[in-house]
Amino acid sequence: MMLRQAAKKALGLTSRQSTPWSVGISRLYHENVIDHYDNPRNVGSFDKNDPTVGTGLVGAPACGDVMKLQIKVDEKTGQITDARFKTFGCGSAIASSSVATEWVKGKAMEEVLTIKNTQIAKHLSLPPVKLHCSMLAEDAIKAAVKDYKEKRVKTNGAAAAGETTQA
Amino acid sequence: MSFVNRTAMATASRFLLLRRLSRSLKLSQTLVHSNSSRVSSNLIHKTIEPLDSFWPIGESHIRHDSSITTRSFSSQSQGPASIDNSSVLQEDEFHRLANFTIHDLLEKIEEYGDNVEIDGFDIDYGNEVLTLKLGSLGTYVLNKQTPNRQIWMSSPVSGPSRFDWDQDANVWIYRRTEAKLHKLLEEELENLCGEPIQLS
Repeated sequence: MMLRQAAKKALGLTSRQSTPWSVGISRLYHENVIDHYDNPRNVGSFDKNDPTVGTGLVGAPACGDVMKLQIKVDEKTGQITDARFKTFGCGSAIASSSVATEWVKGKAMEEVLTIKNTQIAKHLSLPPVKLHCSMLAEDAIKAAVKDYKEKRVKTNGAAAAGETTQA
Repeated sequence: MSFVNRTAMATASRFLLLRRLSRSLKLSQTLVHSNSSRVSSNLIHKTIEPLDSFWPIGESHIRHDSSITTRSFSSQSQGPASIDNSSVLQEDEFHRLANFTIHDLLEKIEEYGDNVEIDGFDIDYGNEVLTLKLGSLGTYVLNKQTPNRQIWMSSPVSGPSRFDWDQDANVWIYRRTEAKLHKLLEEELENLCGEPIQLS
């Protein structure tokens, strides 16, 4: 039931009516988790085909957690200007990805690669058994950066090839 | 007139209700899928649909342990019944190995606890989760993750890690760092508690 609510929330199917849930678990989760769960930051999607967008999709549906994190990058400066996430999973997974999107915004790509799961876990005071959720968020950031870089290589490669034919 | 209106409204709200219901049904099916390791191929096929439309991204973008993704999405590309288990432990074999490992660790660490002086030392196995409390030094949690045939560990020293069974070396290994479960625990526990421990 908890999972279903979380999933619904991530999918944007419910309004804010599910607050009783968080009241019920407030003794178990840190207020930062509740905060990000109730008011998730940067939920949504960018066009994955946009060349300035990097998409990281991690986890496996069979395990109950799937996390999608996208970054929008300023091609000139290499700075991450915006981020979005969609997460299918527990409250900690949703909160971890929400925090991750907040932390990557405005930072350089190389800088966000240094974000560690331990920092996210500490910020959210995740209990030991939920450290895996913060790891998923770290993986998602890395996957998004990697996707953006691969796209860029492809575009640059195509551009370089175009120049050669022109010359 | 008002009667027509009321009927129309009732129909509309019933329609809405039905839609919501079918949505939440789809969702709960998905969750049945996630929580249960024994799922009929029919169900997998159904549950892939909402996920698929929700994640409109090619499967090549999914980055995690490749063994997981191959299995989770094999129904997408090759039909529902074609889950390839040849490279993966059979479920009963996994349970046998993982249960043995976890119970063996429980026994050895329990004994170790009698020999070290750590305030708040407590080891407990319940609901298939092994929890080792070392007071202010932190808490270890080990659990089975059946869908991907892994043992997950949360360590106060090295954080989260996911161990696969290495059939050649007969050890649980974390592919990302090549760390072996028993060796990692031996090292960390010795550092934390000041006494060596033999686990393997």
